[in-house]
Amino acid sequence: MDEKVLTQHFGVEGLFRIDVYRGQGGYGAVETALKQMTPAAVLDEVKRANLRGRGGAGFPAGVKWGFVPQNVPKPRYLCVNADEGEPGTFKDRYLMNHNPHLLLEGIIIASYAVGIHAAFIYVRGEYEAVSLRLEGAIAEAYRNGYLGKNILGMGFDLDVVVHRGAGAYICGEETALLESLEGKRGHPRLKPPFPASVGLFQCPTVINNVETLSNIPFIVQNGADWFIKKGLPKDGGTRIFGVSGMVKRPGIYELPLGTKLRTIIFDHAGGMKDGKQLKAVIPGGMSAPILTADEIDLPMDFDSLAGAGSMLGSAAVIVIDRDTSILDVLKAVAKFYSHESCGQCTPCRIGTAWINKIVKRLARGEGELDDIDAIIRLASNIKGKTLCPLGDAAALPILSICQKFRRELEGHIPHA
Amino acid sequence: MPKILIDDRVVEAAEGLTLLRAAESAGIPIPYFCYHPAFAPEGSCRMCLVEIEGLPKLELACSTMVKEGLKVRTMSPPVVEARKGVLEFLLAEHPLDCPICDKAGECKLQDYFEEYGFFRSQFKEAKEKREKKFKLGRNLILDRERCILCTRCVRFLNEITKTEDAGILNRGIHSEVGIFESEFIDNNYSGNLAQICPVGAITDSDFRFKTRVWFLESKESVCPLCSRGCNITIDSHPGHPRTLRTRRVYRVRARQNPDVNSHWICDYGRYGYAYLDEGREDRLVWNKGGQETRLSWDEAAQILTEKIRSLVHLRKNSRIGIVLHTNLTNEELFLADRIFRKGLGVERFFLADPPPGKGDEFLLTADRTANRRGLQEVGLSVQAPEPKALSGLDLLLIFGHYLAAGISPAGLKDALEKVETKALFASHKSGLDGLVDFVIPVPVIAEKNGTVTNIDGRVQPFLAGLDFDGDGLPEWRALLDLAKELKVDHKYFWPLSSQEAVYRALQKEIPFFK
Repeated sequence: MDEKVLTQHFGVEGLFRIDVYRGQGGYGAVETALKQMTPAAVLDEVKRANLRGRGGAGFPAGVKWGFVPQNVPKPRYLCVNADEGEPGTFKDRYLMNHNPHLLLEGIIIASYAVGIHAAFIYVRGEYEAVSLRLEGAIAEAYRNGYLGKNILGMGFDLDVVVHRGAGAYICGEETALLESLEGKRGHPRLKPPFPASVGLFQCPTVINNVETLSNIPFIVQNGADWFIKKGLPKDGGTRIFGVSGMVKRPGIYELPLGTKLRTIIFDHAGGMKDGKQLKAVIPGGMSAPILTADEIDLPMDFDSLAGAGSMLGSAAVIVIDRDTSILDVLKAVAKFYSHESCGQCTPCRIGTAWINKIVKRLARGEGELDDIDAIIRLASNIKGKTLCPLGDAAALPILSICQKFRRELEGHIPHA
Repeated sequence: MPKILIDDRVVEAAEGLTLLRAAESAGIPIPYFCYHPAFAPEGSCRMCLVEIEGLPKLELACSTMVKEGLKVRTMSPPVVEARKGVLEFLLAEHPLDCPICDKAGECKLQDYFEEYGFFRSQFKEAKEKREKKFKLGRNLILDRERCILCTRCVRFLNEITKTEDAGILNRGIHSEVGIFESEFIDNNYSGNLAQICPVGAITDSDFRFKTRVWFLESKESVCPLCSRGCNITIDSHPGHPRTLRTRRVYRVRARQNPDVNSHWICDYGRYGYAYLDEGREDRLVWNKGGQETRLSWDEAAQILTEKIRSLVHLRKNSRIGIVLHTNLTNEELFLADRIFRKGLGVERFFLADPPPGKGDEFLLTADRTANRRGLQEVGLSVQAPEPKALSGLDLLLIFGHYLAAGISPAGLKDALEKVETKALFASHKSGLDGLVDFVIPVPVIAEKNGTVTNIDGRVQPFLAGLDFDGDGLPEWRALLDLAKELKVDHKYFWPLSSQEAVYRALQKEIPFFK
């Protein structure tokens, strides 16, 4: 299992403490970056590593950093998106709980590369233990000279603040996160302008996922070429897959990008539980279009899944067995997005609620023949037409379920 | 200027303009609910989505900037489908109570639904139940079932009044416009909220259930209730003479003028229209020895002319006094100056205006008349109408009913009793009526043509928005008639027979008005 990177020291007792972390070589990358590299050299290395965002959209992190203007008089900010709310996803919780200093190291290096002196970690509201752990780690880092003024005597200053969300899925959308962090209602912003130029408090802002930033120390220590070898040329590094559902060993599995979905389910997660039969897989968190049991010989990377009409998203693999009613899956999906729609734009606000009402009626056994078509039509009217990606996140899984499992759904309609 | 292609038409549009504005300027309409030209784009209603060649998704016309070479389609099948989709969504949760909705007839949702084909709703579920009569403001009632959450109201209160009274509460389908508990919106601009609501969610309790908009006739005018001169639209029932009906005017709305009032008017101006129909003078009368006689203007003019002529003949010009006010137009103030001061050598000019109020540092000014600046620019010097100054006169021409406001009733009665002949040109009844010999009804600004000069020196022309149906006539015409009867500067006044002609004469004489 030497392919593990982010989780390689997870078994070490007390890894969350700075002395233990340093005993494993921790903060070595900060030393390397601050003492031996210019910010431009760090940025260049990250760009070459083809590190794609681990939050879901897969945007290359180095390119994102490069968009931040360096010649404006305003301060620049880093926001860590730790609002891990995508159903099925729990990788960032593990990372922050077990190895909070790895994230801090990534934050320090990223801030150094982009010229940032204030970073915010926006933690999902329900993650109380995680935020306490982060705060403990931050206090240790301050005491040991890795945060605050004149870090490692190299003249670089950085402050890190933990901010807990209040329990809204939408605040994981980066601009809603910024609004929430500013103390406002978590409504996504109209883009452009993008956060890289107009972000937190109208200042240039980098927003990265926890797992994305946790990769940075390894890129600095081992180089971009090493990182690419860990994954794919256009999609460097490993990925933490969170497997849940009807498998023998649900949990997180750090594997190279491009590992086959079948391998993840049947080798790493131990296959189906209690002799159940595989029916479907949601491969990248609930927003990802569903795959049938016949579609699991896919390499798990951004481009392969996009090619199959789904997405890698947050790499949360939800395994569904044949005894689970697809209507129940649809019900869960429809209810979730209806509940979490922020209500700002028309198609998402009303569309998700309308679909939820139809699905609930189907589940009550009061479905009508044209209901499946109605759901498909409504989801199509949401898809691509909303202010933020939540609309697509709702529409795509619903469309895929209705299209791929239409016959099963129709079985729930009394007069079909 | 960048050139873009909208529906195969080349449109030149300034840099920094949005597609929506560029299309509008080329006469290509793009539908919208949440967009408002006075606010930053919101992009939440999704009605203005258009197709841009080379982009995978439909894009917002309200926030996409013009860029050289953009190829935009505003009526392609995907665009029309998206618009129908938005309408279908909005209508799914919108009550179909148009028959009792005040907005019906000027409702964007209604208009667009008609435009996009009155398609049948597929909505089989139960609509959300929401508050129907929420008191949002002093004059505002919010129907949360009709609300489409465009947030124009919220943004108005954030961006224009900066009072930040309202916001969106709750999430998703449960989202609603809300305010702080136990409070409501109470500022001098709240009436604009009902006007900018694209649907019937915010209605004005002053207008609610009073009439239907299709019965109303809309006429442009200028608000005379302070010296800002906000541009307004007066909505009235046409063909209903003031004297026969209790109500002729149903509402006053803001009319856009970027140089004066943007898109707004204050509540003082919006709700202060009762004066148009209430307490009006409508009979031209002569009080002769305690007896009222009805006269025509020609008869009254003849009597007044003779009186003036005899005083001038006796070189008693100094015993003639003129009381003016600043709801008179530039033309009227100019005529008063040109005829009486220049023409007849009269020196006693008084000013009797309504008392000033408090300005609010936005639109409402402290002056409560329309044309104080006009008086200043015409250059007529006026004095305060003190009883002592008035009592030494033989003839007093009183314009306006404001004289009673600044003087004690006994003092005024006393002073006026000593004046031999008194003629009152007034739009409204007042305590003066019983103290004068002639009462000549005149129109208010909304009922006549003319120009006024606002506090910033902007000369604003206006036409009569309402019919004037009293016995009398506009002051400028009365003044011209007197000038012609008196044969003052005959060559000068003889050719003047319209308000426009007077204005042209004014422009020739006073450089400010050029």
